[in-house]
Amino acid sequence: MFFRNTTKKLLMLVAASALLLGIPAAAAFASSATAGTGWIRLAHLSPNTPAVDVYLYSFDDSTAMIVLHHVAYGTVSPYESVKAGDYSVAMRAAGASATSQPVLSTSVTITGGHAYTVAGMGPESGLRLQVMNDDLSTPSGQALVRVIQASLKQQVVKVAVGSTVLASSLKFASVSPYQAVSPGAATVTLTAGGTNTTSGVTCAAGTVHTFVVLDSASGLEVVNLEDASGSGKPPSGGVQTGFGGTAPHGPGSALPWLAAIGAGSLLALTGGLRLRRNRQLTARI
Amino acid sequence: MPNRWPAAALALAAGLVVIAGGTTGLLLTRHSTPALRPAALGVGAVPAPTGPIVGAFPSPTGPIVAVSQSAAPKPVAAPVSLTIPLIGVQTDLMTLGLKSDGELQVPPPNMVSVAGWYTGSPRPGAIGSSIIVGHIDGGGGSIKGVFFRLTQLSAGDKIYVKRADGTLVEFQVTSVQQYLKDHFPTQAVYGAVPDPELRLITCDGTFDLATGHYLSNIVVYATEVS
Repeated sequence: MFFRNTTKKLLMLVAASALLLGIPAAAAFASSATAGTGWIRLAHLSPNTPAVDVYLYSFDDSTAMIVLHHVAYGTVSPYESVKAGDYSVAMRAAGASATSQPVLSTSVTITGGHAYTVAGMGPESGLRLQVMNDDLSTPSGQALVRVIQASLKQQVVKVAVGSTVLASSLKFASVSPYQAVSPGAATVTLTAGGTNTTSGVTCAAGTVHTFVVLDSASGLEVVNLEDASGSGKPPSGGVQTGFGGTAPHGPGSALPWLAAIGAGSLLALTGGLRLRRNRQLTARI
Repeated sequence: MPNRWPAAALALAAGLVVIAGGTTGLLLTRHSTPALRPAALGVGAVPAPTGPIVGAFPSPTGPIVAVSQSAAPKPVAAPVSLTIPLIGVQTDLMTLGLKSDGELQVPPPNMVSVAGWYTGSPRPGAIGSSIIVGHIDGGGGSIKGVFFRLTQLSAGDKIYVKRADGTLVEFQVTSVQQYLKDHFPTQAVYGAVPDPELRLITCDGTFDLATGHYLSNIVVYATEVS
């Protein structure tokens, strides 16, 4: 009877523990800690477009959340973390009134845990706002790289890092797919119009980069943006950060104590009996 | 004959002592209350550290100034100490790598009061998810580890990391999550993020006597205060 009850209690305890531990842990796993927050950055990558003011609005709010003033060609803002949801980005000529009609605007939906680049791209005559989904997942031990071709002088550019070709003929105002590359220092080579332009870059393991090809005074240049970073070699599994000294524990076993009481009783009984016999012996003498 | 007296008396006395001890032990066992994690808040009397705070970016609300990333991101110095005023944490940081089996190293059993920074993760304040781990407890005698009270943190609480060049970087907790180690979300914890973030990791949940490890991890997510 006692055993059956104990078993039943144990089963209930196990079930309760599973409820308490298992389900919230699984729920937490499904929705990452950053589920409610995403990231956005704004850029001006149109070579012959003068500086602009860039506005970011939460979708149903006419007051701008962020305003970047006098953003010139080649500028990429840092990422800002924002709540997941719908936003719009507007571009006005630098110094134009905040209430004036924007030159360009676009909507962007930000999903939690994801990052986006919204860039003014193309020639001034065909300027557009492009929304790019930025990858945040790096293959273990490697770096992830993509290229934005923002050179108007050279309409087609070949881009290689070390011996890895990132894009063999990347057209103006287009973006290459991401590619995994070996981490470390390397040389980026831009090839256009029969001319090579080289520069040194370092891409650590666990990082995501965007190489931006820009027109410079002397020709082409490449800007190496470190978009995101994590652990190059993610540790496997959980972390063993405890030795159990303060772990909650149930009642310990009663057996050793019962055994001690038994042994003590035996000892005391033996001692007591012997004492009585001694006393009797003494009395007889 | 007289020497029998002390022996018998001793046996009786010893027996009684053992009974008393056994009974006490038994009663203690029956009444042992689980060493639950403390519930009280604000136990720490550790003040927030002072030093030049290097905010990475301008405030996200209101008009901000465009910052060109044309230059490579400025490298930041390695972390040397960690302060969490609310839960009384003030510790130097040791450096940790990976074990041969790929698991994250942890501070040794005789250093449970010290936290460590995983050198394979970004430095605190640099772009990315920086990893700092600490023990919840030691092996015996109810020794509390540096992160014993980590579960008491909640969104908005402040965390400070001092770096080798004397600069201070301030983080704010965004969430506290518990995960079974069998379902550890490697990507969420160690994956790349585009802003300066911090993850504090310790143990929690059920202690498995068979393996000598806790079954769950607590991860505190924090982002740099701009």
